[in-house]
Amino acid sequence: MTDETPTPYVSKIDRRTAITWIGVVGAATAAAAGVVVYGPKMGGKAESKGYGTDPNLVEPAKAPWPRILTPDQLQTAAILADYILPASTTAPSASALGVPDFIDEWVSAPYPDQVASRARIVPGLNDLGRKVLKAGASERAAALKALHGTPFFVSFRKLAVGAYYTTAEGFKDIGYIGNVARVSDPGPSDAVKAALEQELKKLSL
Amino acid sequence: MATEPYDVIIVGSGAGGGMSAFHLTKSGLKVLMLEAGRHYDPATETPMFNIPAQAPLRGASTPDKPFGFYDATVDGGWEVPNEPYTVADGSEPFTWWRPRMLGGRTNHWGRISLRFGELDFKPRSRDGLGFDWPITYDDLAPWYDKTERLIGVSGAAPPRGLLNTPDSPPGCLMESAPPRAFEIFYERAFRAMGIPVIPMHGAVVTQAMEGRNTCIFATPCGRGCSIGANFQSTTVLLPPAMATGNLTITTDALVYQVDLDKAGKAKGVTYVDRKTGKHHSVTARSVVLAAGSGETARILLNSRSAAFPDGLGNTNGMVGRYLMDSVGLGVQGRFPAMEGLPPTNDDGQGTQHTYVPWWGYEKQKELGFPRGYHIEIGGGRRMPSLGIGTYVGDDEDLVGDALRDKLRHRYGSGIGFDGRGEMIPNDDCYCELDPKVKDKWGIPVLRFHWKWGDAEIRQAAHMVQTFLEVIDRLGGTPVPGYETDGRKAISKGGEMIHEVGTVRMGHNDKDSVVNQYGQSWAVPNLFVTDGAVLVSSPDKNPTLSILALAWRSSDHLATLAKQGAL
Repeated sequence: MTDETPTPYVSKIDRRTAITWIGVVGAATAAAAGVVVYGPKMGGKAESKGYGTDPNLVEPAKAPWPRILTPDQLQTAAILADYILPASTTAPSASALGVPDFIDEWVSAPYPDQVASRARIVPGLNDLGRKVLKAGASERAAALKALHGTPFFVSFRKLAVGAYYTTAEGFKDIGYIGNVARVSDPGPSDAVKAALEQELKKLSL
Repeated sequence: MATEPYDVIIVGSGAGGGMSAFHLTKSGLKVLMLEAGRHYDPATETPMFNIPAQAPLRGASTPDKPFGFYDATVDGGWEVPNEPYTVADGSEPFTWWRPRMLGGRTNHWGRISLRFGELDFKPRSRDGLGFDWPITYDDLAPWYDKTERLIGVSGAAPPRGLLNTPDSPPGCLMESAPPRAFEIFYERAFRAMGIPVIPMHGAVVTQAMEGRNTCIFATPCGRGCSIGANFQSTTVLLPPAMATGNLTITTDALVYQVDLDKAGKAKGVTYVDRKTGKHHSVTARSVVLAAGSGETARILLNSRSAAFPDGLGNTNGMVGRYLMDSVGLGVQGRFPAMEGLPPTNDDGQGTQHTYVPWWGYEKQKELGFPRGYHIEIGGGRRMPSLGIGTYVGDDEDLVGDALRDKLRHRYGSGIGFDGRGEMIPNDDCYCELDPKVKDKWGIPVLRFHWKWGDAEIRQAAHMVQTFLEVIDRLGGTPVPGYETDGRKAISKGGEMIHEVGTVRMGHNDKDSVVNQYGQSWAVPNLFVTDGAVLVSSPDKNPTLSILALAWRSSDHLATLAKQGAL
């Protein structure tokens, strides 16, 4: 492994699921690489079932549909996700929070919105993969920079940002401090009110 | 637990059914409640502190869960498995939200609890449009008082005397949590326009209340509430009804017919067990329908006999007629003035803390449309959802720390303005039995007909213009995707999930199906206590009025039962 090789993406899926999928391509290969290797697309053209109309909400089961991304596609998703949200001094990288797994779950889902998203994301990952998986650092950087503003990039960034900031770590990074039981709601602090008044004054309100 | 023979069978367990069960069991009557959905227990089934990352697809809405994974809706949404409905050829779109769970839609509803006002009961007398109710505001006011005290409603404020926006008497309401930053912010724009902003009335227990838990000012009410701090039939009405020992609840019981005896009185109902497919008939001295406006009409229309070949109580063709919904639409805005505020906990009490009641009751002529709307406004630094990425524009070339900084800066600076307006009943909006389509069990399903009137279209256009003006005054920019043409902007029929009417109350058996107590003109021991009885559909969300009417009607039923008059 040289400095120019992207870190192999280590999936954040649970161990039992990983073992199932490793079985598809061989546990030895996966173990040697130190990564979970995803199985090839399963089944035919028909979409698999969703989670149904009465799922357990308190302890949600893992989304039941098989994942379709290949190891190369997943690795490409990790490279792009970490380009969009690399680790900061205070927050982890997108791949450390399993964002590539979420992309896989999303594009693999059987529902109409996700099937439509799949048609944008998967070809985009294939194109990008050809340019970055075996590229040197400068080539890779150029390929990522060239993506900006493309429909694929815009769609992927929206998903990656959404997936990232809906985690506990994302809450912390963006400044969401709720979801805690309180005995009362005191309303905004004096500091918030003062800052707001400044802005209202500018608007002559 | 009560057993046969029952005094009353109640069909449905939501606002109307739950309130009926509460009062009738407390009055000593033996009650059987039949619910089409499964048993549901908010104490163990509510995903209170779950975050999106724990849910499939980060909780995004899907056809299986149209309001998102965590929404308190079981086996339902815009479609219910095995229970189709149709929309007639040539009709405007209509959509019908149903759950299949104990407590019905009270589990996920918005908890907005606004009283109808005095003008809302007599609209025809005022402007010649729509129809007058057989009751006045004063008839229902004591029941509003009782209902607010029972279910727990926040929004107490000094009386304002705003036209057609009733103040509750002292002691009915609790104080709301203080306005959040975005609520302080938008109030200034409305104030500059001469439009009052007042505390929302929300069915959330915000202060100490005997027998209830107080809100913990966290977690979205739409998931339901495991501690019962907001109003759900399943936490507030059914437990005390069960505690009387007078209530039996049978779930998965899809009622499709009211059965009559030889004298023409209701003797019970017939239902199909959704799990076994078996049909059962049960008997009682009286029957209360509270299955929701659509299902209640469907049960009556499917209850055919020699005396009622077109459906029970439908001799004058009034069952299914004058179906109404609320006019609804929303515009979102982004506000630079709200960017970069210090982090603060905006979870609040679940409902909006403040809102804008309709301000144009005396401006009908200059506005060019007769009926008004109120505004529900959402915003603040709420729990991020998958859509948080829309805080960055598609054309903004941001990644890495610059992206993080921008998101942190803008988070919480979006505000959404939603109008909910009155619809005038019209002859083109109704439901009937589809001549061909049947559900899984062979029961004919509803076919809907829908057409918005010009009054609603013009009102919708006005909503959009109002929201755009407010956004502009606040220095914001509207998020693209809104329509300024009222016809394009207006919601689909049924989309506001305020479908009411279909079995309206009235002055006599020619103009209505039931009397002012929801009592069938044709079959006196048959009552309707859901939104089907509503004569008009004011801008105020209907649940509180359904509860108050159901209590009033149940009290009348209990009185008749004690007199032996059923």
